[in-house]
Amino acid sequence: MADETVGSAAPPQDSRREAMAFVIGVAGWLVPGLGHALMKMWGRAAACFLTVGMLVILGAGMRGNVFSSRGNDAFDGLGYLADLGTGTLYLVAKSLETNGADVSHAGGDYGTRFLATAGVLNLLAALHAYEAARGRKA
Amino acid sequence: MKASIGFTLSHLQSMLLFALLISIAFGFLSRRRPIDRVKYIVWSLFLFLLIGVGIGWAMYPFSR
Repeated sequence: MADETVGSAAPPQDSRREAMAFVIGVAGWLVPGLGHALMKMWGRAAACFLTVGMLVILGAGMRGNVFSSRGNDAFDGLGYLADLGTGTLYLVAKSLETNGADVSHAGGDYGTRFLATAGVLNLLAALHAYEAARGRKA
Repeated sequence: MKASIGFTLSHLQSMLLFALLISIAFGFLSRRRPIDRVKYIVWSLFLFLLIGVGIGWAMYPFSR
């Protein structure tokens, strides 16, 4: 029993690395590419920032639906979660969408998909940065 | 701060932009060497467009 207790205690270096990886993951979610930039992966940082940023600007410019927390059904809730994936760019999308969403045209519908994809892509990038910081992949 | 922008893109332009941006992100995240990234981006873009146009034509008989 005592051996198990000793064996399960993580070395201080590992726990510090884990905490740092968590900070990098959250940073990557809040600002697209920041997680990779903190690890000096400049190409990936720029690619994440530019692609997620472009998708958000195009999506909002095409009058896609930027979901809010006051959704009517489960799909609105899922859309909100996907949009939140863009981190602070969610606020940018909100500020760009002054005329409201217009999904009566194909452009607005595509814009909604652009915004949701930007969020999911940024979450993927943040997860990649987190895993890279843990030393599991690069 | 409030600012308004507007884009009017055709179906094809939307698909091209979407496929290009996603391919670039996937290429940079999944490959490390520049030449591998370029190969991945080109191949991914080609498949996005091929499958997108393919699905479009597959739906054509049911569009009317």
